[in-house]
Amino acid sequence: MDPSAPTPPYLSPSAEVPPVETAGGAPADASLLQRMSAGDEQALGVLYDRWHAYVHAIVVRILQRPDEADDVVEEVFWQAWRQAGRFDPARGSAQTWLLTIARSRALDRVRAVKRRREEPLDGEGTAPIFEAAAEGDPGLDAEASERRTIVLAALSDLPPEQREALELGYFSGLSQSEIAERTGQPLGTIKTRTRLAMQKLRGRLQMLREVAR
Amino acid sequence: MSHGMTHEETRDTLEGLSLDALSAAERDAALAHVATCRMCRDHLTALRDTAAQLAYGVTPLPMSPAQRDRLRGRLLERAKADRNPTVDFSLRTPLATTADVIPIEAAAEPRHLGRASNWAAMAASLIAVLSIGMLVRTWDERDVLRASLGAVAVSRAADASALEASRVAIADRDRLIANLTGPDVAVMTLAANPGGAPSARMFWDRSVDAWTFVAHHLPAPRPGRTYQLWLVTASTKISAGIFTPGPDGEAVVRAKYALDRNALDAVAVTEEPERGSAQPTTVPFIVGTAATR
Repeated sequence: MDPSAPTPPYLSPSAEVPPVETAGGAPADASLLQRMSAGDEQALGVLYDRWHAYVHAIVVRILQRPDEADDVVEEVFWQAWRQAGRFDPARGSAQTWLLTIARSRALDRVRAVKRRREEPLDGEGTAPIFEAAAEGDPGLDAEASERRTIVLAALSDLPPEQREALELGYFSGLSQSEIAERTGQPLGTIKTRTRLAMQKLRGRLQMLREVAR
Repeated sequence: MSHGMTHEETRDTLEGLSLDALSAAERDAALAHVATCRMCRDHLTALRDTAAQLAYGVTPLPMSPAQRDRLRGRLLERAKADRNPTVDFSLRTPLATTADVIPIEAAAEPRHLGRASNWAAMAASLIAVLSIGMLVRTWDERDVLRASLGAVAVSRAADASALEASRVAIADRDRLIANLTGPDVAVMTLAANPGGAPSARMFWDRSVDAWTFVAHHLPAPRPGRTYQLWLVTASTKISAGIFTPGPDGEAVVRAKYALDRNALDAVAVTEEPERGSAQPTTVPFIVGTAATR
């Protein structure tokens, strides 16, 4: 499979059709994207039902303005609809693809607002971003719940200052220079923290995924 | 940092790049190196995947039922109005006309795809077989995209995502042109079974294992059903994906799959349940053989 191919590789190396449904019998997200790329708006509805709470959470967290979240959430799913054909399962899961779009669109909105208002990108004294998983995480399917548990476990292993660098970079869209300014740390320190945090996170996620299998 | 980065310098920035936390100059310099370095590209892909996982760290926040339903309704309405059932990247017009499609009976297909002389003959006749309009349109699209990219780069006003989208689209058009016209492309023509209007062509770019299927005049599948594309070998039938044609009966499916040059016997389309089947469950209604037997 060519990882650079932006279009969906429909052929599976095992000479079988790609997974089309989850263990519970519901259509798999990748299958929904495939149907969306073929013009099936009902598949978009299913994807929305399944993921709107997550997309909404990310958008609200980044915007910090719940009243403006609707438009962005709509644009996230709209982009998914228009670009479903570009989803490449070789590059990652459909959920990750969708949540990456959510982050990008929310940050776009924040940056646009910032340009207009010359306000800081992120709010002060906000609640912790990464919180312990709620019991059972109602509204999440089993795979998302498991993924969330793994991510939170991996994050909990990071030193607080490294987590902070990740949070400010990922959810606030701050550059490393801006993070340095915000935290009062030298730029080199922030770069090192980011690098170490990402390396540790990558290793931990890999290990936890293997343990979960 | 506006000039090139060394490999080592780039490696040190990839974590920041994966979070999109570099300055514009650093990002451009790092990306310039990444574009030429497979090792850095792979590392960046892995880091981006890791960064994307951070999204799972937030607590899901359901909307109110009214808010949720309002948004859902709006989205489905937009999607319905926008519906573009061709499988691939906004190709809204036919890539080739029926007149350009050679019926399978009339095509002087080689007996075996693997024979060099037959492939050479197919390659030699490629220009005659291909729709010139299709290529011109694809080239035109690429040129428009290039112009768009230039404008974006010059103005510096567009955001990074628009720039990246243009780059991806251009690369995709370039790939499509190569997949249709490359020196190692084999062309198979599919015709309706037992005869009729639907027709299609499969372009197999064996140098990169790329398959491009272009179909015309396909009727809509029955409710609850979809079309499924198959690569047929002597030992198995390999699904090349499900698809639904547009209102005009046109469809394009692109896929990557490595197949031995001599293995392909035929390409076929069947109608299947809407989620597809592991193996064909109906008689192919459009089929093209890779070898005459």
